[in-house]
Amino acid sequence: MNLISGIDITASALAAQKTRLDIVAQNIANAQTTRTASGGPYQRQVVSFETELIRSQGSAGGALQSVRVAQVSTDRSPGQQVYNPQHPDATADGLVTMPNVNLSQEMVDLITASRTYEANLSVAKNARMMATRTLEIGK
Amino acid sequence: MNVALVGHTMVDPIFQSDNYVLARKLLDAAVVRQEAIAANIANAETPGYRRVDVAPDFAEQLKARLAAGDLSTESAAIKPRLIEDASARSLRPDGNSVEIEHELLAMNRNSVEHEYLTEIISQNIKQLKMAITGRTG
Amino acid sequence: MSPIGSINPLFSAGAPALNKIDAPLPKLPGLHLGGTAAPTTPDGFGRMLDGLVATVDAKQSEAKGLTQRVLLGDSDQLHQSVIAMQEASVSFSLMVEVRNKLIESYQELMRMQV
Repeated sequence: MNLISGIDITASALAAQKTRLDIVAQNIANAQTTRTASGGPYQRQVVSFETELIRSQGSAGGALQSVRVAQVSTDRSPGQQVYNPQHPDATADGLVTMPNVNLSQEMVDLITASRTYEANLSVAKNARMMATRTLEIGK
Repeated sequence: MNVALVGHTMVDPIFQSDNYVLARKLLDAAVVRQEAIAANIANAETPGYRRVDVAPDFAEQLKARLAAGDLSTESAAIKPRLIEDASARSLRPDGNSVEIEHELLAMNRNSVEHEYLTEIISQNIKQLKMAITGRTG
Repeated sequence: MSPIGSINPLFSAGAPALNKIDAPLPKLPGLHLGGTAAPTTPDGFGRMLDGLVATVDAKQSEAKGLTQRVLLGDSDQLHQSVIAMQEASVSFSLMVEVRNKLIESYQELMRMQV
């Protein structure tokens, strides 16, 4: 039973935004990780979204699309090289390749993702309120 | 006078009154609009997504039927449709035309409309109940 | 208000019980029942009840259909189901009240001294 209009759409959106938040948090946490299990510095991960058809044209109201994570890809651009001969991962020239995580960029992503997450939450809350009101018709 | 029809026309004066029928139809549209806003906000960051809304000709059609006087009989065919909002500007390079603040404002307005419409329908039904049973509640 | 001069004593002001039969139904807006629905013939009310039953039947099957679609998840139009159920309930309620009033009037009539 789908009693709250649009709740399936909002649920998918919340899941997608949550994944994005997780990835951003992971990027921030690894901003200084110069050695990963596969060798080399941590490479920033990016989440991309795509639409997901929830309801097709024929049903009440028409086609509706939600969102889902298309893929989590790795940003292969090289990170900054910093001169730090004391660093355990420094090369012979004393250069350390840092992760390609730009903290300000990640913070912007974090804030945007949080805002979108909050917006979806208020959509869900609103839809529930509308359903509750509907149930009181005639009472 | 066709007495058999009388039974049918007893409750229909309320259930087929213009305001009641309008309220019911507009309520259908309000529910569809809430879903449209949910879809828009869900896709606030999907590249290339264009916002959708209830087609504006829905209200026009209702007005036309009201003016023509056949609202109660013809309204069943008029349904709210979702179309891409052609007037939405795209602020982003990827073509996405959703602005979250705009959607949230639209949602609030829609919510108040929904409350108003359910109130109209509810009052009509309660009045009818009261008239029939002579008791409130 | 003596019946002298009035041809049919039954319709004089001195027979208030009979007047009640003329108004067994609650006043509803738009209702044009008036006094022409042959209050003296049982057929009139019988057919009217048939009409009411038909309305109640129609409203209840509409409510049933819409509710079932919501229950099965085929539709998420909760408001349509709720409104249809309320309308069916109101129609049913009207039918019950009409039946009650009819029975009341009939009993009243049977109690009358002829």
